[in-house]
Amino acid sequence: MVATEPRELRSVGQRLKRIDSPKKLTGQERFTGDLRLPGMLYARLVGSPYAHARINGIDTSAALAVPGVAAVLLAADLPIREGENPLASDEAIYNGQPLAIVLAESEAIAEDAVLLVDIDAEPLDPVTSIEEALREGGPQTRFSAAHVDEAEARLHNSDAGAAEEKVLPANVTNTVDYRRGDIAKGFADADQVVELTITSEQVHQGYIEPQVTLVAPSPLGKLDVYTSTQGMFVVQNKVAQTLGLQASEVEVHQMPVGGGFGGKFGLNEAMVALAAVAVNRPVLLQLTRMEDFLSANPAPACEIRVKLGGTSDGFITALQADLTFLAGIAPSSPLGIAAILVGGYYRFPNMEITGQEIISNRPKSGAYRAPGAQQASLAIEAAIDELARALGKDPMDFRLQNCAVEGDERPNGGAWPRIGLKETLEAIREHPIWQEREAIRQRGHGVGIGVGGWPGGLEPATAVCRLDADGKLTMMLGSVDLNGSNTGMAQIAAEALGIETDDVNINVGTSSSAPWSGSTGGSKITYTVGAAVQRAAEDARKQILEIAAQRLEASADDLEIADGNVQVKGVPSSSISLKQIAELSMSGDGGVDPVLGRGASAITQAAPGFAVHMAEVSVDELTGETTIHRYVAAQDVGLAINPALVEDQIHGGVGQGIGWALYEGMAYDDAGQLMTASLMDYAIPKAEMIPNIEIILVQVPSEHGPYGAKGIGEPPAVPGAAVITNAIRDATGVRVTHIPVRPEIMARALDSAAAAD
Amino acid sequence: MAPQRMPVTVTVNGSDHHLLVEPRHTLLDTLREDLRLTGTKKVCDMGNCGACTVHVDGLAVYSCLTLAVETDGHEVRTIEGVAPPDGLDPVQEAFIRMDAFQCGFCTPGQIMSLRALLDGNDDPTDDDIQTAVSGNLCRCGAYRNILRAGRLAADLQRARRESEVAR
Repeated sequence: MVATEPRELRSVGQRLKRIDSPKKLTGQERFTGDLRLPGMLYARLVGSPYAHARINGIDTSAALAVPGVAAVLLAADLPIREGENPLASDEAIYNGQPLAIVLAESEAIAEDAVLLVDIDAEPLDPVTSIEEALREGGPQTRFSAAHVDEAEARLHNSDAGAAEEKVLPANVTNTVDYRRGDIAKGFADADQVVELTITSEQVHQGYIEPQVTLVAPSPLGKLDVYTSTQGMFVVQNKVAQTLGLQASEVEVHQMPVGGGFGGKFGLNEAMVALAAVAVNRPVLLQLTRMEDFLSANPAPACEIRVKLGGTSDGFITALQADLTFLAGIAPSSPLGIAAILVGGYYRFPNMEITGQEIISNRPKSGAYRAPGAQQASLAIEAAIDELARALGKDPMDFRLQNCAVEGDERPNGGAWPRIGLKETLEAIREHPIWQEREAIRQRGHGVGIGVGGWPGGLEPATAVCRLDADGKLTMMLGSVDLNGSNTGMAQIAAEALGIETDDVNINVGTSSSAPWSGSTGGSKITYTVGAAVQRAAEDARKQILEIAAQRLEASADDLEIADGNVQVKGVPSSSISLKQIAELSMSGDGGVDPVLGRGASAITQAAPGFAVHMAEVSVDELTGETTIHRYVAAQDVGLAINPALVEDQIHGGVGQGIGWALYEGMAYDDAGQLMTASLMDYAIPKAEMIPNIEIILVQVPSEHGPYGAKGIGEPPAVPGAAVITNAIRDATGVRVTHIPVRPEIMARALDSAAAAD
Repeated sequence: MAPQRMPVTVTVNGSDHHLLVEPRHTLLDTLREDLRLTGTKKVCDMGNCGACTVHVDGLAVYSCLTLAVETDGHEVRTIEGVAPPDGLDPVQEAFIRMDAFQCGFCTPGQIMSLRALLDGNDDPTDDDIQTAVSGNLCRCGAYRNILRAGRLAADLQRARRESEVAR
């Protein structure tokens, strides 16, 4: 399955064990919530009981009287210098929005005091659904001046095709509009046209470690921020700006992250910093699971209408799609990415993609692993399946005939670079389940396939490494390891330098000491930081060889690094060890510069990643319960730096995709109250809900990533809902268009299909 | 009014502790705050996720649903007390070999659930293993490898026991 065989690699490509194993398996790893500092206070939040309310007053006197309560902070108490106050004062705009912070000597005391804070509030009509938001004369999310963070709107709308300025309706904060060809002619040329509308609910990233931050004002005047975040430098800037400090006065300590999945890009750090400065003591805030569900940036609900036409010889003639995202209280949905992907997997000669983002009285939305892609895939892959059926085509052949390849145009302009979509589809086509799907159908099961794509992430990155006194290499990074990337970085460094992976230490520094890197997210860490690591190790290698050349009186070109020594190629007797070189460079009379390698990357071309998944399912006709019997995930990973860890990422993505498809949804009532604010009411898949997952790694090397690697975290989380609903369609003949496909939804769909017959 | 505290004598990982705890305090908070054993994680605090799993008298329990006062006179074991002084427990060893964790946050709870199973059963079935961890959520997607690690851990444990008998 390897498209091109790279040069012989020693470390890269090996299934090596995780370098952080022992601490994580023995309870020794320190996460943010495990830290305690002298004088530290525990914070608990007082949240708005209403989705939308006028706040007339907050009485904190009873709470302050509780022994052990140090302070109850309101909006006016926070020493904020810039940006929106994290505490609401006169208007609450979502259920659970923080109104006050209780600081106490223990968490239990803080919880007691929260119950004694008296909120005088007058509920107002909330915006809680797409229908309400768009209703003429309907409610607004805020009574105060419509507040739209324009910089943010531009950020999220940066890919949007809407060129001209226009006034948007109330509650609509962004639009997209991509057109190509002649849509009317496209549908006129079609032999068959299918139309469907998919809906998906708001879901949560569901990281097991809650959002957690500890901020300590230091006696020297700066702030130490210990936090579980995917973006240490983002946090540094945000905290500094909010408090009116220099970035250098804020030192962010990047702590291990107990799951992020896009949800940890700086949520509460500024608020905790404001509280800590207000009382001049260390403050720890770890959200409760309920607070996390209520206030921590979930992925928005959405509705996508798709109309697709094709000819009897199997070509797509036209795509029309309209997307609506129901974001939280500020512009924050992945509308642009979803629009690009709806129109990106296949060749659509005629195309019209429109979309809008609506804001509502829900918490601000956040990124969740491949934001926008799940919904886009569900919509387009359902329509492709239906069109293939209508045309009497095999859904695999139909996809292969129309799928995008290098050079095909994307909706937002520009062509796809080298991508492995076709190769990945072919890998699934050859799988026995696909080959034997007729026999599988005889058993009453169904087989479905689906494509998931991700444009790939980009952000510059740097890395610095030094040769240590023991002859090992320490690589210093500014980006956090979420699920094993540091092990891959060690492999890349070992490969580039020519040493064993065990002889590489990876050290993620603080925002004051680490080389700068972008955030960990969007499937870009291995692709971008990995490239910087490779260059830093190569730079160190060059310096090492120069020192050795001097010592061995040989040309650097004639030297090689093997078994911890630099030696003349083929002459092991003429050698000097890395340890000797290090010692020499660190001694007063050595006269040799210490080895310090630097690497940077500012790659401007992303490496898009594609996954094609296949599921065999059955549906219980009485209960509507869907069972996944077998699951196959193929993915173009460029080159797997560590296949075991790549497979782990795929396992995780598939599990989350199954969550999207069958289990997860955040339900709000008409008053905007969250009804699923616990892990009992919100169903994260358990062990027994995840089937065996067979993995096929396709390797179409990227042009710029280290050793051809591509980002691999996002794509496996994308196709799940498309694959499973397509498999349900195959098994039952019923097209379900709403996810999650809870048993009651499935049972009702089966009933109405039976009634229609 | 200062909260009333009750004396509790509890053995944790083999050491006796005499504590004064508020009757409402959970075993989880007592382990983390009073004994500073932070390997046991607080996630949902209501018995939905399993990250706080510890052993009380050899049985796996959610320490967030157990009051500290209930453990008076009992033996508690946490993730910090699993590994022998000179290495790793077979479950921990199996987690490395089967790559059964990613971010590592749910991992202590998963290990404690499997350890409790293997303490009572040297040769569990696949169903036994799945049932043992059915109350432990993992969001990174390590489930299939956790089940494989459970099987390997049972094998490693039997092998260790047999080699001890042989000696």
